[in-house]
Amino acid sequence: MEAPPVTVLPVTGGTINMMEYILQGSVLDQSLESLLHRLRGLCDNMEPETFVDHELVFLLKAQQGSPFILRARRSVDKPTMPWHLRYLGQPEIGDKNRSALVRNCVDVATSDTLNEFLIEMGFRMDHEFVVKGHIFRKGMMKIVVSKVFRILLQGNTDNIEPLSLSYLVELNVVAPPGQDAVSDDMKNFAEQLKPLVHLEKIDPKRLHQA
Amino acid sequence: MQPREEKQLEASVDTIISRVADLKSSLASFIHKLENEYERLNWPSVLDNFALVSGQLNTLNKLLRNEKTPLLRNQVIIPLLLCPDRDDELMKLTEGRVPVFSHEVVPDHLRTKPDPEVEEQEKQLSADAARLAPDVAQKQIQSLNKMCGILLDKLNNTREERESESGALRQSKQTFNPADTNALVAAVGFGRGLSKPIRPQGPGGPVPPGQTLPGAGLPGGPSMAQVSMQSGPNQQQGMAAQVPPQGQPGKIPSTIKTNIKSASMHPYQR
Amino acid sequence: MGVCVVSQIPAVEGKSVQQTVEMITKKLEILGAVKQGTFCVDCETYHAAPIVNNSGQQGKLMYVMHNTEYPASCFALFENGPCLVADTNFDTLMIKLKGFFQNAKSNKIESRGQRYQFSDFLVKVGTVTMGPSARGISVEVEYCPSIVSNDCWNLMMEFMQSFMGSHTPGIPSVFTAKHDGIYTPTDTVIQYMELFNKIRKQQQAPVSGMR
Repeated sequence: MEAPPVTVLPVTGGTINMMEYILQGSVLDQSLESLLHRLRGLCDNMEPETFVDHELVFLLKAQQGSPFILRARRSVDKPTMPWHLRYLGQPEIGDKNRSALVRNCVDVATSDTLNEFLIEMGFRMDHEFVVKGHIFRKGMMKIVVSKVFRILLQGNTDNIEPLSLSYLVELNVVAPPGQDAVSDDMKNFAEQLKPLVHLEKIDPKRLHQA
Repeated sequence: MQPREEKQLEASVDTIISRVADLKSSLASFIHKLENEYERLNWPSVLDNFALVSGQLNTLNKLLRNEKTPLLRNQVIIPLLLCPDRDDELMKLTEGRVPVFSHEVVPDHLRTKPDPEVEEQEKQLSADAARLAPDVAQKQIQSLNKMCGILLDKLNNTREERESESGALRQSKQTFNPADTNALVAAVGFGRGLSKPIRPQGPGGPVPPGQTLPGAGLPGGPSMAQVSMQSGPNQQQGMAAQVPPQGQPGKIPSTIKTNIKSASMHPYQR
Repeated sequence: MGVCVVSQIPAVEGKSVQQTVEMITKKLEILGAVKQGTFCVDCETYHAAPIVNNSGQQGKLMYVMHNTEYPASCFALFENGPCLVADTNFDTLMIKLKGFFQNAKSNKIESRGQRYQFSDFLVKVGTVTMGPSARGISVEVEYCPSIVSNDCWNLMMEFMQSFMGSHTPGIPSVFTAKHDGIYTPTDTVIQYMELFNKIRKQQQAPVSGMR
C-alpha cells in the first residue's frame, strides 16, 4: 500500500476573511409553487435540491459587551453529512451604491461532536429551529427558499410547528472582501423575481427596535 | 418624352436603386447574424433589425407614392436583344444572379401579367361566380358573415376573460407579506418567536404575543388576559438574545401560574 | 489511514536529540524502510480569556492541532474532553474568537521529521520542539491495512520491538477507551496531545528543580 507523499509546508489554516452578501424576503405558502417555477427557469440547470436542517444557536457570554454567537447546523435528512459551524459578523447596511447587506462570515465543516465541543468551550445553547426548503444556484449566487419551524420540545426535530404562513427567501453570495460588484448581480437577479418576491437588504438593527 | 420628364424619371430611379440597396444590405447583415451569431443574438437586437428593415420598406413605399415620382407603370420595357451567350456585364449588375439574357429567363424577369394557366383559372372562377343566382350568392355571403361574427365574438370573449382574470390576480392576490419577512428574518437572525428551551429554574420563557406555550393554553377568558397582559413585557423579548430578560413584575415560576396570576392581576392593571 | 501508536523515545545518554534521531532513522534504513517525505504535527494552546463569563472555563486548556497526514483538517480538543474534527477554516474562527480565547504563543509545540515506509507500516520519527529548542523525540508507527486497533496491537508491538527495543511503549489508552475499537485520525492526534503534554511537564520539572 503506497502512502501519499506529504509536503513539509507549514500547515496554514483557513481561507482568508470571507464576506457574505445577502438579500432577504419571503413568499406566502400559496405562491411558493410560482416562485419555485420561476427559479427553476432562472437558475442553473441542476437537479432540484431540498434540505431539512436543524440549527442550534450558541452564545458565549462575556462579562461585558455582546456575546459571541456561533451557529451549528446539521442535516436532518442526510445525517452522514458533516455539521456546519458558522460565524456571522455584524452586518453592514452600507450606502445606496451597495445593493446587498454585507457581513463577515466563517464557514467550518466539522464532525458531529460539535454540540458537545461548543458546550465544553463554554458556549450555551440559546435557541434552535428547523428549516426545510429548496436550494437553487446561479453562478456564484445561492437562493434558498425555506420554511422556518419552531421546536416545541427541546432537541426533538419531529415535534415542530411552522413559524408563519410564509417561506423565507434568501439570496446570498460568499466572496472575498471588496467584491461589491457581486451585489449588482444580486440586485439584477432580485429584480427578476418581482413582483412575486421582494428581496431587500434588511437591517437587523431595525428589526431589533421594532 | 420631354427631356424634363426624362430627367425626373432618371433621378427617381436612382433614388429607388439606392433605397433598395440600403434595404438589401440590412437584410443581408440580418441574415448573416441569424446564421452565424444566433448563439449570442438576443431578442432586443433581433427586434432592432426588424425595425430597421420595416423602416426602410416604409421609406421605399413613401418614395414610390411621392407626387414627384413619375408613374412607373406607364413605362414600358421591351427586350430588344436576346442572346444565349454569357453576359459578364449583366452578371456583375445582378451580383451573379442572372448570367445570360436569353429566351429562358426573360419571360420570368420582365413578366407584367400572371401565367397563362393562372389567367385561365381566374377566368373560370369569374365565370362560375357569374353563373350563380344572386339570391343563392346572397345566402352564402350571409352565412359566411355569420360564421365570422361568431368566431370573432369567441376570440374577443376569451381575451377579455383572460385579461380580467390576470388583472384580478395581480390586484387581489398578494404573493408575499412584509410582516412575515420581518418575522422570519428576526427568527433566523436572533431567534425571535422561536421557543427557547424551557428551563424550570429560569424566568418564564419569552412567548410571542398571541402564541401560547405548549400545554399552557387555558380555555376562555384567562388565556385572553394572558395575551393582553404579556404583550407589554414581550415587546422587548426580541432583545433577549442580547440582554438578559429584565425582571418581569412578580417573578413567575411556571407558565401555568402565569395564566392564573395574570387573570387575577388584570383588574389592577388599569 | 490505519492504526497508529505514538510514543516517546528518550535521548541516548551523552547524545543530543538530533543525534539520537539520526541513530533511529539509520536503524530503520538498515531494516529496509524507505524514506518518503517528511511530516509535521503541531499544537497550539488556547485558554479562556478573563472576560468569559463562566468560572468553569478558567484554567481549562483547549488545543488546536494539525497533522500533515490530514492536510485539510484541523483538530480541536480538550484534555479528557471532546474532540472536534473540522476543516482548516476553524483556524480563522479562532482568530475571530481572539477576545474570548487567547493563544499562548510560547506554548506552541510541534513534532517534525522524516516519514518512512516499511511494507505495510509507516514510521514517523520526529523532533519535538517548543520555541527554538528541541525537547524530545516522537515515534509514530502506523499499520496501514487495518482500522481495528486491538487486532493490530500484537503485530505492531512486535514490529516496534525490532527497532525501539526496550523503549517499545505499552498499549495506548485510546485503544482501550473505545467501545467499537475502530481507530480514527482523532486517536492519533489525541496521542500526540498526550505526548506533548508529557514533554511539557518533563521540561518544567528539572527547571523548577534547579532553582
